[in-house]
Amino acid sequence: MSAELSHLVEHGRVHRRFYTDPAIFDAEMDNIFGRVWLWLGHESQLKNTGDYFTARMGRDRVIVARHNDGEIHAFHNRCTHRGAEVCPHRAGNADRFECPYHAWTFRTDGSLESVPLRKGYDDGFDERVKDLALEPVARIASYRGFIFGSHAADGDDLETYLGPDVRAAFDNFVDRAPDGTVTMAGGTTVQRYRGNWKLQIENSIDLLHPLILHHSAVDAADRVDHGGREPSIEWDTVKANGLSFNEWDQLRVAALPRGHCWMGGFLTKSIDEDAEAAAAAEAAMDPDGWRALQAQYRDIMVEKHGEERTDEILSFNRHNTIVYPNLFVNARLAQIRILQPTAADSTEQHGYIFHLGGAPDRMFEASVRMVNANNSPSSIVTSDDHEVFERIQNALTGGASEWLDWTRGIDQETDLDGAASGVGTNEVAMRNQHRAWADYMAGA
Amino acid sequence: MAASLERWHAVQQFLFHEARLQDERRWDDWLALYREDATYWVPYAWGQESPTDHVSLFYEDVTLLRMRIDRLQNDLSPLEWPPARTNHHLSNITLEDDAGDTLTAKANLLFVEYRRDEQRMFSAHVTWNLIADGDGFAIASKRVDLLNSDQESGHLRIAMPI
Repeated sequence: MSAELSHLVEHGRVHRRFYTDPAIFDAEMDNIFGRVWLWLGHESQLKNTGDYFTARMGRDRVIVARHNDGEIHAFHNRCTHRGAEVCPHRAGNADRFECPYHAWTFRTDGSLESVPLRKGYDDGFDERVKDLALEPVARIASYRGFIFGSHAADGDDLETYLGPDVRAAFDNFVDRAPDGTVTMAGGTTVQRYRGNWKLQIENSIDLLHPLILHHSAVDAADRVDHGGREPSIEWDTVKANGLSFNEWDQLRVAALPRGHCWMGGFLTKSIDEDAEAAAAAEAAMDPDGWRALQAQYRDIMVEKHGEERTDEILSFNRHNTIVYPNLFVNARLAQIRILQPTAADSTEQHGYIFHLGGAPDRMFEASVRMVNANNSPSSIVTSDDHEVFERIQNALTGGASEWLDWTRGIDQETDLDGAASGVGTNEVAMRNQHRAWADYMAGA
Repeated sequence: MAASLERWHAVQQFLFHEARLQDERRWDDWLALYREDATYWVPYAWGQESPTDHVSLFYEDVTLLRMRIDRLQNDLSPLEWPPARTNHHLSNITLEDDAGDTLTAKANLLFVEYRRDEQRMFSAHVTWNLIADGDGFAIASKRVDLLNSDQESGHLRIAMPI
């Protein structure tokens, strides 16, 4: 079965069942989501003993908690007696988790603490208690405070799995905080669409589509009269989709081992390039504006790290770094997004933002506004993407023509330190995702 | 102090007018009801206190709303092939803090939207801060608290202001 499934992907084309077949979705949950490192959350959510949050790992719902041994533990949110969720909350602090059905209680490391009417069990029950702990997640590990879990007991460790290019994105994420700490805050956006999860990871590295699909949003941005005031950060976000094909092609796309990839940054008015001159010019324009704020932030960074190191940190100009299969890391926006597939034709996208320790308070407001503009269900940009995903999902269910073309730039890839690279509109990163998919499905 | 029947009627007619403009997709006329410094806010969290320290479903000023309605009226926008049909049902309208030139109105809203093969419904508490403007009113701010704002499985896209 698995070997057969891997044939749905070829170099330069994929079969439509790749997106539509429920049996393939089940196989993905086992062979991909059941094996890789999946992002669960951040250590800032678990500051104190007993702090916990709930998370998803493919089809599984898990609890991640800080136990009184100081360690982080992760286990399934499923009572080992009758299977009820023992924790109904998204996050909180608890001494123990008690099942509402028959009051089996579990410690914050998942171990079984007590059952009612103990005498009703046989003498061998004591020996079985350790096996009646909430089922542990096979492995958990953190990188720079970002917590991951894996259902596979064996395999690459987290650092190897991420690889140097993805680790660099997390490094830069944290390094952008003047005091070196980031804290998850400000809630979560959840966008849902009726389409396959892979449509989103392909779309997020697809630099041919913005000018076409999002043109009505860009047109609307072009018609705005700012009345002499500095444009809002939300406006910038929308307008940035209007780069020309040439400009998109000037960005680099890198396709990394294990299906990961990243793309160069593209937001307009980049503070990263010629930051000082741009910031000074714009700060003169609006002392309460976002550019003045960026300049203020840069001053704090320089005071902390010096000019050279500050430039190094702020010139890390990438947009999305995509960790296969479902994670998007955006250090510049202090934003993480994760896909939670729920069926072959149903996907949730969750957006999280972070407070940069030591940065001006209004930097966080900027992150809030960016995630509202990009990742609220009301976003005038990503709504276009989701609309088109649903049209794809509708249309792929039938028809005699079974293959989709992924050949753009297929003979124009260049090597990049053990990975492949291409101009912005090259589909090299999607082909790389497809190759990783086939490898996982074949059990590689 | 109970609002006078005339005042209550006038505010109610104004809110019905806003809803009618939305349902008839007369977006430029709709936005003209808002002051230039108005805000339109649909919080994400239940009982959310601030739009600047927490994500929102919508938190838009008139410039952003103008971009949104520009797009709703663009025949080439993928979201609007075909356009949604909607009904705003307003009930339980009350006036609060009526200071003569400013007042707050509250209502319950049932918003029904049909597009392509699906009809969906949102229920909300709505709060308007209004400015009495000659014979009519202008909207200084509008807040829409959806019952399911933070629904765990998220929301399918929401294109138009609720």
